[in-house]
Amino acid sequence: MTRPILALTLATAAAAALLAAAPTRADVAEAVTQDILPGYARFAEATAALAEVAAQDCRAPALRPAWNGAFDAWLGVAHLRLGPVETQGRALAIAYWPDPKAIGARQLAEMQAAADPGLTTPEGMAQASVAAKGLFGLERLLYGPDYGADSYDCALAGAMAQDLAATAALVAAEWGSAGSGGYADLLLSAPAPENLTFLTLTESRQALFTQLISGLEFVADQRLGRPLGTFDNPHPERAEALASGRPLRNVALSLAALQAYADALGGPAPLTDAAFTRARTLAEALPDPLLGGVADPSGRLKVEILQQAVKATVDAALGEIGASLGVGKGLNAVDGD
Amino acid sequence: MQRRHFLTSLAAATALPRLGWADVGSPAFLAAARDPSGGHALFGLTAAGAPLFQLPLPARGHAATAHPTRPEAVAFARRPGVFALVIDCTSGAVLARLTPPEGRQFNGHGAYSADGSVLYTSEVVAEGSAGRVGLWDAARGYLRLGEFASNGIGPHDLRRLPGSEMLVVANGGIQTDPSDRTPLNLTEMRPNLSYLSPEGALLDMVELPDLAQNSIRHLAVRADGLVAFAMQWQGDLAEAVPLLGLHRRGAAVQLCPPVETEALAMQGYAGSIAFCASGAEVAITSPRGGRVQAYDAEGLEIWSLARADVCGLGPDLGTGTGFVVTDGAGLIASVAKGRLAPLARADVAWDNHLVALG
Repeated sequence: MTRPILALTLATAAAAALLAAAPTRADVAEAVTQDILPGYARFAEATAALAEVAAQDCRAPALRPAWNGAFDAWLGVAHLRLGPVETQGRALAIAYWPDPKAIGARQLAEMQAAADPGLTTPEGMAQASVAAKGLFGLERLLYGPDYGADSYDCALAGAMAQDLAATAALVAAEWGSAGSGGYADLLLSAPAPENLTFLTLTESRQALFTQLISGLEFVADQRLGRPLGTFDNPHPERAEALASGRPLRNVALSLAALQAYADALGGPAPLTDAAFTRARTLAEALPDPLLGGVADPSGRLKVEILQQAVKATVDAALGEIGASLGVGKGLNAVDGD
Repeated sequence: MQRRHFLTSLAAATALPRLGWADVGSPAFLAAARDPSGGHALFGLTAAGAPLFQLPLPARGHAATAHPTRPEAVAFARRPGVFALVIDCTSGAVLARLTPPEGRQFNGHGAYSADGSVLYTSEVVAEGSAGRVGLWDAARGYLRLGEFASNGIGPHDLRRLPGSEMLVVANGGIQTDPSDRTPLNLTEMRPNLSYLSPEGALLDMVELPDLAQNSIRHLAVRADGLVAFAMQWQGDLAEAVPLLGLHRRGAAVQLCPPVETEALAMQGYAGSIAFCASGAEVAITSPRGGRVQAYDAEGLEIWSLARADVCGLGPDLGTGTGFVVTDGAGLIASVAKGRLAPLARADVAWDNHLVALG
């Protein structure tokens, strides 16, 4: 008899401690000011650093660390698919993946063959196809077999790095800061008469919550699901950023970013936190940085278990954070016809 | 005999002072919705989005079609549908309940003949999803008149070409499990757009040989016979494929890709399609991508707008080139040139379609 009561008391105490530990009431304002804006600032800094390195030394050994830093920073905000990053296809221009038809590789080969000097100017690269440039365009160059042999590749990488930094700076600037009149204020001010993007506070919450769910689904269905394929037809070669050795790193950093975002948006959500922690622990313990194990039964099982843990996090967040914010998936978005 | 005579007289008497659409308070749109308690209803709305009437539905609705002259509409269940309700929009009375014949399922859409005497319904044979067009006698109590083949698997939307009795059918190509909506043939599907005579003769057909997994599902027709069709991509969602097509009978089909920066914004899914009142623009909506994309009549994308869970779409009758959209958050808004102007909000989730009357 005493044990269940003790357990209950402990659980209550733990819940009280959690509540007490929460610094502020999580909601739209916390998600925007504590998570999204700092995340975009970090991405802008990391890409600016990459462009700076590229301007001085475009050889692969010099550029790769800065490129990895930029990719790491992108994963802090990659789940956000609303606002400035959606304007003019910027999210695609930053990271065009998945690319099942290998459009990016084909276009890059065409660029290299044409060797148009106009393309390596800021204006030229700004106009270039989104599939060919960005983080994955740079990866193809920096981790490709022939990079560095000729100066056009070097100029191309420099222009791509510069374009990436310009895009990141534009996205950060258009988000602005609280009170600056940027996209952040659209989320923060709803409802306001002149705000036609988010008509109610619920719409702001819905928009931010959707990023959490679709971000988790992207990890499960794309970053893990693409290489998993099916049991009879696995596709380890389809893993994200395989050439640079980042497939599992991208999963782990995405999950970390999504957990921080969920905390800022949803506040104390013990079931969601536990689900995140389980998924991240599995990812960190997975001895398979390239996710190549999907092609053999035991390695595959480990990736599938990780994928299931990410999907369980979706369910937890829908039930817990969605319910606390009063939002869910849209009637039409879930099940149309 | 006496009772029968009485009923005939009554029918004749009530039929004499025929009410027209203008007498209802002129609803401009019909839309199905889910209310906060989870119930389903059909709404009649003014051009400004104000509700004129609300009729309960037995289950989730999908689309509706309005009688060309009488203030009467048929609301269709979501597929696989077991009911369609003929509704008197002046009183809210259910005039007839249509049940598909044994082994058939309604597929969500329908259309009237030009004089309103025949209702055509898009249907499937439950086993195998072979398409059928059901014929109902709208002049005499909606008795089943018969059916003919739709010329494809899994028809969805069906329209009559303006000024003609010709039907155009979106044969979506997807075979579904008869008990639910599970697709069974995504690797072998072959959607088509078929033009049929009112007797069911195949007059013309177009297919998408290079995009066989692009299910042709919804239609909009312009007064001059231009047909716009909206598609739902069943292949890899990371592939950018056009979701809008334009076709004129006898001509080649024109697929209309969005601008490159919008290529993946719709997430492979167009839920509704409409021409604006002037016919100069055609728009498609994606609740999955939270997008409205508008194209000119030559098929070039001219603007887009982000709006979560947007799906219902119709012409804005107050302007030449604008549209009215509905979403799952209860908003009714006018959109034009990429800008949104709220019209009204209801405490419901608007379902897939906004059906323009008249």
